[in-house]
Amino acid sequence: MSTITCALLLIGIFAYVFWPEHRVEAQTQKTRLDFLRERKDVIYDNLRDLNFEYRAGKYPEEDYQAQRAALENEAAETIAEIELLERQGLTHSPKLSS
Amino acid sequence: MPTLGSFALLLALALSGYNLVAGAIALRQLATGARGRVSPERLAETARRAGIGSFIAVTAAAFALVWAAFTNDFSVAYILHHSNRALPTSYKFAALWSGQEGSLLLWAWLLTGYGFLLRLRHKVDVKLTAYASTILAGIQVFFLLLLNFAAPPFSLVSGTIPQDGFGLNPLLQYPEMVIHPPMLYLGYFGFSVPFAFALGALMMRYPGEKWIHITRRWTMVTWLFLTCGIFLGAHWAYSVLGWGGYWGWDPVENASLMPWLTGTAFLHSVMMQEKRGMMKHWNVWLIFSTFALSILGTLLTRSGLVSSVHAFAQSSIGSWFWAFLVIVLAVCLFTYVLQRDHLKSEHKLESLVSRESSFLFNNLVLLAACFTILWGTLFPVISEYVQGNKVTVGPPFYNRVAVPIGLFLLFLTGIGPLLAWRSSSFKSIRKNFILPVVAAFVTAIVLIATGMRPWQDSGAFYSLVAWSLAAMVTVAVGSEFLRGARVIQRHTGQNLFASTIQLTRRNTRRYGGYIVHFGVVVIFIGLAGSAFNQSKEQELNYKQSMTMGPYRIECLDYSQDSNPNYDTEYALLDVYRSGKKITQLAPEKRFYQASQTTSTIVANHSTLAWDLYVIYAGKDPDNGQPIIKVFLNPLVAWIWIGVIIVVLGTFVALIPNMSAALAASRSRVQVAEAPVLAATKGGN
Amino acid sequence: MRRARISQIGLLTLLLVFTLGSADTGVRYNDLSHKMMCACGCGQVLGECNHLGCPDSEQMLHELRTDISKGQSDTAILEAFQAKYGPTILAAPMLTKFNIVAWVVPPVVLLLGIFGTFALVRKWRLRTVATPAPSAVRGFDRIRDQIRKETEI
Repeated sequence: MSTITCALLLIGIFAYVFWPEHRVEAQTQKTRLDFLRERKDVIYDNLRDLNFEYRAGKYPEEDYQAQRAALENEAAETIAEIELLERQGLTHSPKLSS
Repeated sequence: MPTLGSFALLLALALSGYNLVAGAIALRQLATGARGRVSPERLAETARRAGIGSFIAVTAAAFALVWAAFTNDFSVAYILHHSNRALPTSYKFAALWSGQEGSLLLWAWLLTGYGFLLRLRHKVDVKLTAYASTILAGIQVFFLLLLNFAAPPFSLVSGTIPQDGFGLNPLLQYPEMVIHPPMLYLGYFGFSVPFAFALGALMMRYPGEKWIHITRRWTMVTWLFLTCGIFLGAHWAYSVLGWGGYWGWDPVENASLMPWLTGTAFLHSVMMQEKRGMMKHWNVWLIFSTFALSILGTLLTRSGLVSSVHAFAQSSIGSWFWAFLVIVLAVCLFTYVLQRDHLKSEHKLESLVSRESSFLFNNLVLLAACFTILWGTLFPVISEYVQGNKVTVGPPFYNRVAVPIGLFLLFLTGIGPLLAWRSSSFKSIRKNFILPVVAAFVTAIVLIATGMRPWQDSGAFYSLVAWSLAAMVTVAVGSEFLRGARVIQRHTGQNLFASTIQLTRRNTRRYGGYIVHFGVVVIFIGLAGSAFNQSKEQELNYKQSMTMGPYRIECLDYSQDSNPNYDTEYALLDVYRSGKKITQLAPEKRFYQASQTTSTIVANHSTLAWDLYVIYAGKDPDNGQPIIKVFLNPLVAWIWIGVIIVVLGTFVALIPNMSAALAASRSRVQVAEAPVLAATKGGN
Repeated sequence: MRRARISQIGLLTLLLVFTLGSADTGVRYNDLSHKMMCACGCGQVLGECNHLGCPDSEQMLHELRTDISKGQSDTAILEAFQAKYGPTILAAPMLTKFNIVAWVVPPVVLLLGIFGTFALVRKWRLRTVATPAPSAVRGFDRIRDQIRKETEI
């Protein structure tokens, strides 16, 4: 009884592991574009956060202006690069974020 | 069945080994561009599936052990020692983790289970998951080696098979005990997933911080499991051990607290990396040490290096854990040294009053607490080495040294939320601090006015500080919600309640986190009550009574009883308050036949103000009258309420943000508009 | 000047926190029984050891009671117990010789950590938070408008 169960377990798992699969997920290296899009999302989050906290009264005016400007510059550079890469048609990744 | 179990464990080891080796070869080939007979992608896929297969195999082994427990198969030595025929069904299930071998099997099962989920969800990031899966396979190999060669759960009894087993330790025959160990183990080994991702990301020089986003939920869920595990253990100790307390600073308890502390530090500081690209070196080492501490905890308690109340068989597996720990640290250090240039910070800390620096201090204090506990736990060993004799480092040490650190942490719990990211001056937030600080002082004054004397003993002093800080943090967290909600209100015109809900849904992690902070405050309120515990022991004959605080306890009856699992002695006590009977309590003392041990069944009348905690301490040998010990423990219920709040807060934090969805829909509209705009601009 | 005063007060408070002792003589028995472990190996503090038929706790508590009634000092009692049952009987090491290390190291580590963190923050700190000049990216104004629109709260 247990011998049969053992054999079944062995065969089952081996079949599962080594059964030839044709659609293997490719291990794509993350493209620069993917990275930039992630980056843009993070900066956007930071900006939204900054705006919100400013309205909630947690930043002095000059602090807010300075930081917004810094974050906007960072975002702008990222977006400019994204646009450049998209124009060059280097879109490797099929999933488009927004 | 034992044959199936042993075979399945061996198979699981082979599969994990294959996952490790084939995975590593495939990743190596992909990294260097070398090619073998099989394409590296195919090889990596078989490795991934072997990992999934190892979960199935370990599941079969765990099933075999539980099956053996349920069918009373006493030919298996483990079942013989941890179960018996009369044991109730649900506790037979618990036999899986009531001993060394079984609990190792449970670990392996949970570990492969985590790996199973991770490998199933590999499409999030195929390459990164392949790295993490291979690292996890390495950890699996260690546990399966242990299970196959050092602590086999399916070894058979030699000679004649006894008719009945020796039974489950009666202390473990309690509902919480059925869920406490699995929770704790889920917490310990859950950290292996963020660990594997962090190490993998470092090995492959993963660009960006997305891996943190991927592991965020894992880390939070793991943290939640560990938190629940710790407090279920505390609640179990409180309800079962019958000494009126819930935390004894035992090495095993400390072992669970240490990874919790570093894990909490990691949860906080990783946000700085995710948001601001800072503290990368620090975070990598935090998660490395969290994982190492969960191994070290096991090592400490299972190897007999430090003595503990938790009765685990002392065995040779200590040296296995040492070896594993050394290998883990060596791999971490090697990878770190090789790849550390990848961890350059993008930003620098800009000021002392930003939330970043409050996170820095929170990390410092959590780590100092962790170090203190590690130090206290290891000091007996150090002492033996240096001065030749062991010493005990028990509750008085921790109460003196760890409690102030805990209070400092409570203080930071309130300060952190008030500060903003990157804020450079204290100017505009000063007004946000006024109310919380006033609340703290008012609380302190009120408490002293109502009779607390903090200058008389340290317990009262700490409690006063704790309660004042609790008021401060509560007000700070509350005002933080209010300020946010007001902004939403101005924006949308909703009422304050709806605004608060929307506020929370827009940033679930932050506001869920604040709820967790509030839960921690409630826990501290309860913990601080312990400074005012009272206890009294008295013999009670029929109709005799004793008083404790506002309660009068009258003995109605005392008797004994017996059933196949245990014999019991108990007293029936009526509890009166201001002349009115409010409840009846029946504390018990049980004697378990199979294991020949006794256990206390505590009777507890719990209210929000205090617990009336009654134990049956035995009979006076001279006159046969029952000795009743009564504790009046203030505010204990708040600890458990606080834990529930922490759990709810974590659930809130796990919900995806609403604002992300809104933003996405909004930006879709803009994407649609953008070409039009561009076109008009181009036209001009 | 003010900062120095604040740090002095801070240090004093810390010192107070770490040295606050419990001195009330009325609770000496309770106090001392919580400073020792039970010798039976149950791993519990003497005052809380409650398991049925404990071979040691009754006798130890009795000894403690007699010692207190004899008017011995806390230290003398603890030392007597230590001499009789070995050094592991104390629930926490006394402030003698090497054992002082046990007590001193954690607060020292915390203090060093605090000073270290302050120093680190100070070193990291940028002098000014001047508003940076607008980026030189082409079409910056358009992109900035887009950013502002997309990051409204």
